[in-house]
Amino acid sequence: MTQDDGAIVFDVQRFSVHDGPGIRTIVFFKGCALACAWCQNPEAIRAAPEIYYDDERCLAGCARCIDRCRDGALGDRRPKRVDFARCTACGACVDDCPAGALRIVGRTWSARELLTEVLRDRPFYASSGGGITLSGGEPVLHAEFLTRWLPLVKREGLHVVLETCGAYPFALLEPLLEWVDLVFFDVKAADAERHRTLTGKTNDQITQTLALLLRRGAAVEVRMPVVPGRNDDAENVAQTAKMLGRMGVGRVTLLPYNHLWEAKLPRLGTQQRPLGIRPPPGGHYEELVRAFAGHGIAAST
Amino acid sequence: MSSAPAPRISSPFAHAPETREHGRAREARAAGRPQRLEALRNDLLAAPYTLCTQKAELLTEYFRDHVPADPLVGALAPLHFALTRRGLARSLASGAPQPLWQLRASRALQALYARRLDAAAGEPAVLHHARALAHILERAPLRIYEHELVVGNPSSQRIGAPIHPDLGGILMLPELERLATRAVNPIASTEEQRRRLAEEIFPFWFPRSIQSRVAVLAPDAGLANALLRGDRFVLTQFAGISHVTPDYPAVLERGFEGILEQVETARRTASTREQAAFFDAAAIAARAAIAFGARWSEHCAQAATRQIVPQRAAELRRLAGVFAQVPARPARSFYEAVQSTLLTHVIVHQESFQHGVSFGRIDRYLQPHYERDLAEGRVTREEAIEILGSFLGKAAELLPLFNEMATEYFSGLSSASGITLGGIDEEGRDATNEVSLLVLEAYDHMRLRQPNLHARLHAGSAPGFVRLAHDVVKRGGGMPAFFSDEAVVPAIENLGIATRHARDYAIVGCVEWGVPRRSFPAAGACFLSLPAALVRALHGGATADAAPVSFDSMEALVAALRREIEALVAEAAAGNDAIERAHARWRPTPLLSLLVDGCIASGRDVTEGGARYDSTGMQGVGLADVADSLAAIERLVFDEKRTGVAALIAAADADFANDAALQRRLEERLPRYGCDAGPAEAWAKRVAQIYCDAVREHRNPRAGPYAPGFWTMTTHVGFGRRLGALPSGRRAGRPLSDGVSPSNGADHRGPTASLLAAAHAQGPLTGNGLCLNEKIEPWFVEGEAGTALLADLTRGYFRAGGMQVQYNIVDPAVLLDAKAHPERHRDLVVRISGYSAYFNDLTEEMKDDIITRTLHGGAGPIRPVDGRACG
Ligand code: SF4
Ligand code: SF4
Repeated sequence: MTQDDGAIVFDVQRFSVHDGPGIRTIVFFKGCALACAWCQNPEAIRAAPEIYYDDERCLAGCARCIDRCRDGALGDRRPKRVDFARCTACGACVDDCPAGALRIVGRTWSARELLTEVLRDRPFYASSGGGITLSGGEPVLHAEFLTRWLPLVKREGLHVVLETCGAYPFALLEPLLEWVDLVFFDVKAADAERHRTLTGKTNDQITQTLALLLRRGAAVEVRMPVVPGRNDDAENVAQTAKMLGRMGVGRVTLLPYNHLWEAKLPRLGTQQRPLGIRPPPGGHYEELVRAFAGHGIAAST
Repeated sequence: MSSAPAPRISSPFAHAPETREHGRAREARAAGRPQRLEALRNDLLAAPYTLCTQKAELLTEYFRDHVPADPLVGALAPLHFALTRRGLARSLASGAPQPLWQLRASRALQALYARRLDAAAGEPAVLHHARALAHILERAPLRIYEHELVVGNPSSQRIGAPIHPDLGGILMLPELERLATRAVNPIASTEEQRRRLAEEIFPFWFPRSIQSRVAVLAPDAGLANALLRGDRFVLTQFAGISHVTPDYPAVLERGFEGILEQVETARRTASTREQAAFFDAAAIAARAAIAFGARWSEHCAQAATRQIVPQRAAELRRLAGVFAQVPARPARSFYEAVQSTLLTHVIVHQESFQHGVSFGRIDRYLQPHYERDLAEGRVTREEAIEILGSFLGKAAELLPLFNEMATEYFSGLSSASGITLGGIDEEGRDATNEVSLLVLEAYDHMRLRQPNLHARLHAGSAPGFVRLAHDVVKRGGGMPAFFSDEAVVPAIENLGIATRHARDYAIVGCVEWGVPRRSFPAAGACFLSLPAALVRALHGGATADAAPVSFDSMEALVAALRREIEALVAEAAAGNDAIERAHARWRPTPLLSLLVDGCIASGRDVTEGGARYDSTGMQGVGLADVADSLAAIERLVFDEKRTGVAALIAAADADFANDAALQRRLEERLPRYGCDAGPAEAWAKRVAQIYCDAVREHRNPRAGPYAPGFWTMTTHVGFGRRLGALPSGRRAGRPLSDGVSPSNGADHRGPTASLLAAAHAQGPLTGNGLCLNEKIEPWFVEGEAGTALLADLTRGYFRAGGMQVQYNIVDPAVLLDAKAHPERHRDLVVRISGYSAYFNDLTEEMKDDIITRTLHGGAGPIRPVDGRACG
């Protein structure tokens, strides 16, 4: 199967209840336009499949994977068994690993196969008013695939939510909108420079995409991932509120911070580094809600 | 009830000890609990578990004094008993088989006793047992406990475990002395109780009990040894049949006087001596029930005169009036209806053993009484809840009595009295009503391990009922369990039951769907280990000590498995047939027969096939283990060609001692039943079909079908302990999967996947119920949205064809704390396979099983990379 036929997806997660109405299945597309310092799914950023090694699963006394690798990326040094720089993600080692300690994150799914998978929980979509949520990574980077796949999904009558960061030309998103019921649009910081520091890119394109999206009259829920100490200060709240206000957005959903992603870092060949941010003190999110309210924006968690 | 507000009883437990309440949810509930129910609940939680020998004593007294004996038996049996007693103790302790010659000799002697005692007795057994019941009901002391609105004593103790020497009670003999001190489920008894049992009661029943007489009728003299091994099947009906939903509504409508009239009318048309004897016995039983009600009336009146608190005296006088009417005559009010139901339940238990005698659809039969009283101002909603709460407390007073071996298979001390709420009526309309809600609310106050609450749902269920039922279960305790009318009704019809009657089903005991009032479903009769059959198939029809055999295709393996399952079913059915024939011949239950439609019309006891519908339940245990094993063999041997069948089996036989990596691969990398990837679920469906077909081949001695089920109690622990490792990667001795639930850890794709996997394996042939355990973390179902979410899960699963599901929603941290500090968690109720139990009453092994059972729950905002393959 060539990549033209399908898309690289790194997980299909069932029974999600926090990513849109009802009980949902989330499709995680691989590859992102941004590289946020706190990315919850570090394995999502790169477009290509990559190796993932979980030393805790690795069996003591086992070494069967080492000879499998023709690129010399595997050694017997634990926990640093994998030399990520040398790994080509060929996958030759994965099959023989009895413990599931080695795996390739991301594989190509055909449109059919992905459809079958998301249809499995259909009885629950029906009972709960749920559906599917496109997430990632950045699903819109798979627009070509989605223009073929989403019509199949809609023919089955599924409700579709798109989670997006907006860092792409609006033209990429526009043709998808007829199959998307609701867009979750993430804003991280209002100031362009701060945005670059935090995510690797300024937010010019993002704000433009959001504005155009709103103009199209799409159902949009703006969300802000809260990163304590990075984007939850009074300045950014004020700027973000002002920016949203200009676009006629009256509400924002705050996504509470979670640091569990840091555990994944040593298992991946990623540049992302731990931030060491701990959960903020109790009442922090309520304070943020009040701060937004002070600027005329109804925030909720 | 008067329309005055319910009396407030001051309770010594008004402030519940701190240690009893854990978590905010429980405190909140306690705060809203009516004081009377709070007091009752505390008394019940504090009451010790005690052995009840009342029925044993009175029954023995009657038979010794009134049924002619035989001198030869009188001379031989005591010697035989003394010998057997030692052998029994030895084998129960070690599981060592008894020599076949001994079993044969014993059988010959028991056959002799049976012949001679039958001849000496003169009259048919049914008459003797009817008179014995009357003897018991005339003499059983009556006790009224503080705060009770609904009275009656299922046993002589507040929380009592009656022993039945006429059935299988003798199996307790070797353990009597350590009953009070055993590690699991200690039960208090007096020295005098134990002495009389050992020296008088058991010796008397040794030549008469069902336990002894089964050997006379069993085709296989080695049956006792097979049961002692307990590795392939378990037959329960030595202990009694019970497992029935009696026609309590008939008592409410006609009273025992009306029923007696029916018997007397039918007596005139009796065409055989047997029928005449049955009718005479039935009439004796009905009169005994009527007299018992009169005794209660007098007792309450007298208690009222001694009572110094005026409020309580008034309550007792009122009860005296109630018993002047019921259960002899029709119930005229809600209160009378509830009390009549409970007293009839008590009466049934003076004859039958305490397992699975169920109340049926009480919301349906209490509703007219409630509506009428409410309209006429004779009861308020709050009073009705108090009455129902008091009634529910009564159902928690009974304990089953198991010996140590049986405790492994049936841990949790449930006597599984079922109450069924909601569902459609005979015409297919929603029958849910206000009483359905009242019972749920009363249960929410009581939250005891019993009775067993079941909610029937269908597409048109009243939304308020669906919501409340899920709201109640999400706060722990595992009740109610949920049943889908759309899926269950066809499964019952498949047993040859008319649609109208199938639609009226109610849950018998744990999860068994039966037809109330009209059927004798013997629903808890047999449990079979499907993995044990697989292991034999993999060893050429021999035990795991033999060399593993090879197969050149999955089809060849499946054919061998089918043969083994058929042989296992046939062996268990033959053993059970002998037990049922022994009941019919020697332990009829004329009182129960009054309460099962068809018996009076046919002039036959329920044990003889008098019921309108008859069946026997046969449960397949370990479905997921077999499915996972087949999926593993298919993948590793036939798809990936990593190894051969024989090599894989040999590794398993060695408990993977030399191949840890293989064991890990099996556990981690293969598609297992529960993650809804396809192959393992397809195998589960196929194995379920093979099993159901094999079971349906057989008919019981009552001319009814054997009905297949997939629920386990805790037989999955007992069977698992006696089974080596499996090709699924499950290690030797570990528990098997329970019901149709996935193996521990196999359902890591969350509840929707495991629910659908289970739905896939089910089908309309499952005539005797199945059980799916879903464990959900409490934070997932918080708030109203959480309740809705849980209901959505249930409904989605039912849409997909699911039949039953029960939720264990409990914080794992609480379970761990309860294991470490049992004293802090006396009221912690958890769901086992098909029933609820106090966590403290479980074996340590079962506690661990509950704790390690997969915790579901979303990944939250972080998506963990899951190293496990699922397809
Ligand atoms: S994926 Fe290929 S290159 Fe990477 S470690 Fe495994 S075998 Fe080596
Ligand atoms: S094959 Fe797997 S378990 Fe074995 S050494 Fe390699 S990573 Fe570890």
